[in-house]
Amino acid sequence: MSFQIPIGPQHPALKEPVGVRVTVDGEIIREADLRLGYNHRGVEKLAEQKTWTQNIYLMERICGICSHSHATCYVQGVEKLMEIEPPKRGLYIRILVSELERVHSHLLWLGVAGHEAGFDSFFMYVWRDREIVMDILETISGNRVHYAINAIGGVRRDLDELQIKHILDSLEVLRQRSAYYEKLGTTEPSFVARLAGVGYLSREDAIELCAVGPTLRASGVPMDVRKDDPYAVYDEVPFEVCTADSCDVLGRTVVRIKELLQSYNIIEFLLKNLPAGPISVRAPRRAKPNEVVSRYEAPRGENIHYIKSNGSDKPERLKVRAPTLANYAATIKMLKNGFIADVPLIFAAIDPCICCAERSVAIVDARTAQERIVTMSSLRELSLKTAKHQARKREAEWPL
Amino acid sequence: MNDQVLIDKINEGLKDKVVAITNPAPRRLFLQVTADNLLPVVGWLKHELGITHLSTISGLDLGQSFELLYHFANNCCALTLRTEIPREQPVLTSICEIIPGAILYERELQDMFGITVQNIPDGRPLLLPDDWPAGNYPLRKDWKYERPPEVIPGGKS
Repeated sequence: MSFQIPIGPQHPALKEPVGVRVTVDGEIIREADLRLGYNHRGVEKLAEQKTWTQNIYLMERICGICSHSHATCYVQGVEKLMEIEPPKRGLYIRILVSELERVHSHLLWLGVAGHEAGFDSFFMYVWRDREIVMDILETISGNRVHYAINAIGGVRRDLDELQIKHILDSLEVLRQRSAYYEKLGTTEPSFVARLAGVGYLSREDAIELCAVGPTLRASGVPMDVRKDDPYAVYDEVPFEVCTADSCDVLGRTVVRIKELLQSYNIIEFLLKNLPAGPISVRAPRRAKPNEVVSRYEAPRGENIHYIKSNGSDKPERLKVRAPTLANYAATIKMLKNGFIADVPLIFAAIDPCICCAERSVAIVDARTAQERIVTMSSLRELSLKTAKHQARKREAEWPL
Repeated sequence: MNDQVLIDKINEGLKDKVVAITNPAPRRLFLQVTADNLLPVVGWLKHELGITHLSTISGLDLGQSFELLYHFANNCCALTLRTEIPREQPVLTSICEIIPGAILYERELQDMFGITVQNIPDGRPLLLPDDWPAGNYPLRKDWKYERPPEVIPGGKS
């Protein structure tokens, strides 16, 4: 007997509303199918009608969690089109904000992973510490979410000595806390047992399906745009690409925690080596006809913008590909032959943005066509119940 | 492997299939191919150069034709394949048999530009609503959005 379960289009574990229909055989998922577009806002069409400067703010609003990623990816492409070179100090501040954003995004994810795995105290600890980063971002830019720090040709706000000291002090706290989470998240037996072996994506599949970001790196592929295609000042900054070989949700957790620690080092390096000078240069209003491919490593993976100019003050074409879209094909693969109780965990593991709303999932009986509505919380309870009586999985490996 | 090595290899292996190679910036390559040669070139890139990561496919409305840009990447270079198909007959061959991860991008092309992708494993609409009127392709330049007149239920008009 097989059931079909539509999950979404409204779903608490997804950034964009997305419809997933899973066919289950007992507890095991046999087929999964995606339906996108519930949150399609026509940004690419809209961008063709806005000027270069207006588009910065449009791009920033593509995503709430990685707002800086899209804005930076766009801005550095436009700077190439306009043939201007932003000053070093501007680039350093831009990258500083992008690393802080990575920290807050990864901490957010870590909390969600704890929540989905039934480790709620972990979730609350991590999110409490995420406030430290949010406060830093607020001191730099004046905003917690849409920093609006980018301008074509540099950044809009400078840093002073007091701010630098504040960031370095806060960083020390974050380092200590993250070291503790590293220990907890990777050695706490019940937490590790819940994550290990879930959402398996082999190295070959991850490459075939063009996955990006921590999802890809957790399958053992050391691909990071910051290293492969160093934009801005990443060629001067020492850091390592973090990978894991376990190919499961545990691996994705480990990769993100390691990246957090790397990000702290990058932030410290940037602040200690912050060059003096102006933070931006004046940008022209128009760009010559040309085209550019701009890549950026967002917290969720590779972000790519293709921008074509036609000589006017508006883009001819602006193509945006956000990292979550690239990971959907891999998610389908991960869901197949997994347990229905693992669905929230696997979804959360590619790090689609979590909106904390409680939504419902309908389970349709394939034979009687009767629908029963279960809330996401009861699906989660089912997930916890299943995990509770499960023997420790034998492939549970300690990655650190 | 740097840009020049890649260009030399491509020149050697694909000299009759690639129309033009440009290298406008460091780590950026643009290859022009004809639509018929797309599949062999993608296959060659995958098997000979090991370029398996497709970042995305961008579509462009040039008026008389559509331009497709296949953005590939490996660990040293972002390589873009550029091909053109006529507007009157917007037909393309799917590259999913070589790069399975291309499926969502090809479905997006079908929705947004009305391009027919042949041999696509799953050609259902991806992004547009279920009740989207047929023949409307939003990213074509001649498509303009018109807000439907507002009707107040039970109101005057």
